[in-house]
Formats: sequence, C-alpha cells, structure tokens
Amino acid sequence: MALHGLMILTAALAGEVPAPAGAAELVSAAAEGVGGGARDESYAPATARIVGGIIEYTRWPAQAGPLTLCAAGPTRRGGRLDAVRLADGRAVHRREVGPVPSAIGGCQVLYIGDVQPLVLRQLVAAARGNGVLTIAEADPACRSQAMFCMVYEPRAVSFRMNLDAIARSGLRVDPRVLRLAEGGR
Amino acid sequence: MAAPRQSLPTLRQLLAGVHMRLILFTVTLATASLLLSGMIVIRNYASRNLQLTAHTVAYTVEPAVVFGDRAAVLEAIVSVAAVGGIDRVEVREPGGPVLAAWNHPHGDLHSRFEDLANRLLWASPAFHPVVRGGRVLAEVRVYGNSEGVLRYALSGAIIALSCLGLTVIATRILARRLQRDVIEPLDHVAAIAHAVRTDRAFEKRIPSSGIAEIDRFGQDFNALLAELQGWHAGLTSENAELARRATHDSLTGLGNRALFEQALGEAICASVRSGVAFAVLYLDIDDFKAINDRHGHDSGDAALIAVAERLRSSIRQVDSAFRLGGDEFAVVLAPFHNRAHVEGVVARIHLAMERSFRLPSGLFARSTVSLGVAVYPDDGISPSDLLRRADAEMYQMKRHARYEGETGHGADA
Repeated sequence: MALHGLMILTAALAGEVPAPAGAAELVSAAAEGVGGGARDESYAPATARIVGGIIEYTRWPAQAGPLTLCAAGPTRRGGRLDAVRLADGRAVHRREVGPVPSAIGGCQVLYIGDVQPLVLRQLVAAARGNGVLTIAEADPACRSQAMFCMVYEPRAVSFRMNLDAIARSGLRVDPRVLRLAEGGR
Repeated sequence: MAAPRQSLPTLRQLLAGVHMRLILFTVTLATASLLLSGMIVIRNYASRNLQLTAHTVAYTVEPAVVFGDRAAVLEAIVSVAAVGGIDRVEVREPGGPVLAAWNHPHGDLHSRFEDLANRLLWASPAFHPVVRGGRVLAEVRVYGNSEGVLRYALSGAIIALSCLGLTVIATRILARRLQRDVIEPLDHVAAIAHAVRTDRAFEKRIPSSGIAEIDRFGQDFNALLAELQGWHAGLTSENAELARRATHDSLTGLGNRALFEQALGEAICASVRSGVAFAVLYLDIDDFKAINDRHGHDSGDAALIAVAERLRSSIRQVDSAFRLGGDEFAVVLAPFHNRAHVEGVVARIHLAMERSFRLPSGLFARSTVSLGVAVYPDDGISPSDLLRRADAEMYQMKRHARYEGETGHGADA
C-alpha cells in the first residue's frame, strides 16, 4: 500500500445499525431542535464498538493503568462511550472536556464531537505528538488530520483512518485494523 | 514321441505364469504400500495445514470479530483459506451462531464420492479459538478437503497401472529370452532322443549348451547314448551270428538244408525268369560210416571239414555249397550255357578230393565222394524232382565206384 500525503481509509460495519436509522436521525434531529447539540442514540452502540476496537488495537508508548477518554465538544453519537471495556480488563474512563486545546492534558483518547472545522484542527494539532489517539465524529472526509474519523451512513457505521496522522502520532496501531478501514481491503 | 497333451503346460507357459504372478504380487505390494504411506504422509501434512490455517484465520479475523464486522470476517477467511485443501471454514461465536463461513467452490469433478472421502478423512474439523485478552471471542473451524489425497491416489493408481503394463511386456520379453536359452537346448535333447528311438540314430550327440545343468545333462545323455550304441552294435552282431547259425552248419561253415532249399527255390525262380539252365550236385562221402567206426567221430568230423573245404575251393563265387546232414552235401551251380561247364566243376571236385587231409590222430587220409548231377529244367522242374534225380545218379555212381573199389580204390589210413 503506497502511503503518500493523506491516505484515508474507512471501515463499513454492515448491519450494525438498527433499521430506521436514517428516519430516526431525521426525527431525533427535528426533536432536538437547533445546533450541534442534538443526540442520536441509534448510532451510539456502533460508535462505542468501533471506538472500543480502535482503542483495543492501539498501543501507547507507556502502557499503564486505565485509559482516559476525553469527549470534546458536543458528541451526538458518543452516548455509550462510557461502556467501552478492553479485553485485557483495563478500564476506560470518560471525561468531558471543553473544545479547547488547553483542556486535553492527561487524555489518552480524544473523541472530538461536532465542532467547527477550525476548532477541530486546533484540537488535533494540540494532540499530535503527545501520544493521544484522536477520533473525529463529524469529519467524514477526514481532512482534519485526526487519526480516525467516523463515517455515518443511513444503515451503516464505518470509519476512515489517516495513515499519515497515525504514522506521526507516536502510537502503534495494529496493521490488521487497516483492513477494516474503508478502502483498506 | 507322442504329441504333447493339451492339458500339460509348456515350460514357457510355466515360466511366463510364474513371472506374471511374481510381477503382479510385487507391483501390487509396492503400489499399495507406496499409496498408503503416501496418503498417510499427505494426510498428516494436510492435517497440519488445516491446523495452521485455523490458527491463521483466527489471527486474521480477530480485529474483524472485535469490531463486529462480518463482511471483514469473511474477507479475512477468504484471504487465508483460498489455498486449496480446505473444504469449509467457519467462524462462529462461542456456542452461538455462525459469524461467517466460506465453502470451497467445487469444480466439475466434485462428487458424492469426494464428499464421502472428505467425511472419512476429516471426520472432525481443525479448531482454533479467537482469543483476545484471555476471552474467547469466537471459534474457527476448518474442514479438510480430500481432493489432494484423492488426486494423489488417482495418479498413483494410473502410474501403478502403467508400471504394471510395462512390466508385463518386460516379462513377456524375459520369458521369450529364457525360453531361447533354456528350452531350445532341451528341445534339442528331446529331438535327439526322438531320433534315437525312431531311427536308431545312436551316433547322434547333443552339442554343448550355455547352461551348466543342461550341459551336464547333455554330457550324461551322450555317455548313455554311447553305451546304448555299444550295446546295440553287440546285439546286432549277435543277432547276425544267430541268424547265420540258423542257416549254416556249425561244423563245416556251409549252408544247411534250410538254406539249400531256399537257395534252390530262388535258383529255380531265377532260371524261370532268365530261361537259362542251372545244375544241382548231390554228393556224399564214400564209406563215411567206415571212417567213423574205424577212426572215431573226430576223424569223421575231420573228413567232413576236409570235404567241405575242398568242395568250397572247387566251385566259383557264384556257386554255393551246402551240407544237408550227415555226410551228404549239395551244390547249386549258377546258370550256365554249356553242359561242359558242369563236367568241369565235377572234375575239379574229384581232383580236389585227391589231396589228403590230416586226422586228429596225426595220420593223413584221403576221402572220395560219390556225386550225382541234375540239370534244371532237363532233369526236372521241381526241387524234389531235381534232388531225387541227382540222388539216383549219385547212387548209381556209388555202386559203380564200389564195384571198382574192390580193385583198390577207397579210404586208406
């Protein structure tokens, strides 16, 4: 696989999403009203599963104790992220942080919710080089230099990965995960 | 030699049969053991391959199982399992439903037989769990495919059959060569034995052959033939001697009465054909009884031998003399054209008798003979007529001689 510039991979998890996902999304979006704060619980389990998998196959340079997952900004589909459990028994603690670069100290995982592209870039830039796994919820094209980006489709949830960002992150991601990302097969 | 019975096999058939059985046994044994051991080895390798495949599949599908991506699970299986020798791979949750399964795309050659072989060879699948952090996420089951083993068995069987064909041909050639080397010398012996039996060809000998046993046999046979030849020659000469004794007088060596009658008959036949006359002489020794009585039987025998010897020397090669018994002799003279010839012979006989002979006692004696002549066909045409005539003439002459003998002729001691 040739790695040059921005290499984006996505994974599609077929059949993981309850049937009326698209409709529910519309309905719930209408119900929640304006802004990015609207929550969409029908995607939450699949999101939690993918985030758990990514954490599962990522190795930090200093592997110790429980992990801290910081949810930055309004996370519309991250409602189940506190339920993430790792296979080796380590716990993942969820912490809500503000969408500002100064707030992400002590985070091993940064789950960035629905924020402005500029804010997203700032958060990702702040995390880079500090051993932080970055996952963007609302950047399907994965242009923000986040390592992983969620991709939501009407009946499926998948993810993309930015190999360039992963290579520079200082973290080790199991290459088998590459196969699962969209376009990685 | 009697024609060989149909039920008896020839040596060549025996050899070919033995060879064939041996070859069949050997090739079958070799093929069976090779095929069996080959199949066992291949199965062991295939079994290890299944284990390895199960292991690899478990490793490869692990993230896909963690992510819950069934399509990715299937793809991972396909990427590993599509190498052959594998019939089915399935990944299922522990004790739960199948997450993904892959089946070998069977070609045209697939059959129920292959299914059966699969079940026989791979009664239980290779198994490997998918473990993450000590927790079993899923189970991988890999079912083997008997295709490789079957293909090996098939090709092995084909090769074995070809080898069998080749060896059968080679056996034929070998048997033919053996026949040439072994049976031809034996046939030679048989032919000579046959010739000896039917043609009494005792002088034939078996030539030396290239095989030690047959050569020894031939030498013994030749020695036996030589002995037979000796015996045969002895028997032949003894038979000839016996035959001669049956027709010849042992004392004088002249033909006996039987031979005389035969010779007379033949002479008559010859004369009838040729029309030329012949004569029979009939003679006996004068006063033979007196010689016997006075000087003993030894002297009588000496007189008989002397008379016979003189008689033989007085006639030609074509004439023949016989002793009919006692002191009676006969001569069959060969055909003549002139009666004077007969007179000449008679005169020669009388002249020959003038010579004295030696008695066993050492004394010398002289014997005279009385002689009658009968000419065929003038004096008779049957043997008995001729004999009677000659006999009568002889007695007439004897009476005449006795009359003259009173004046000085006779045997003197």
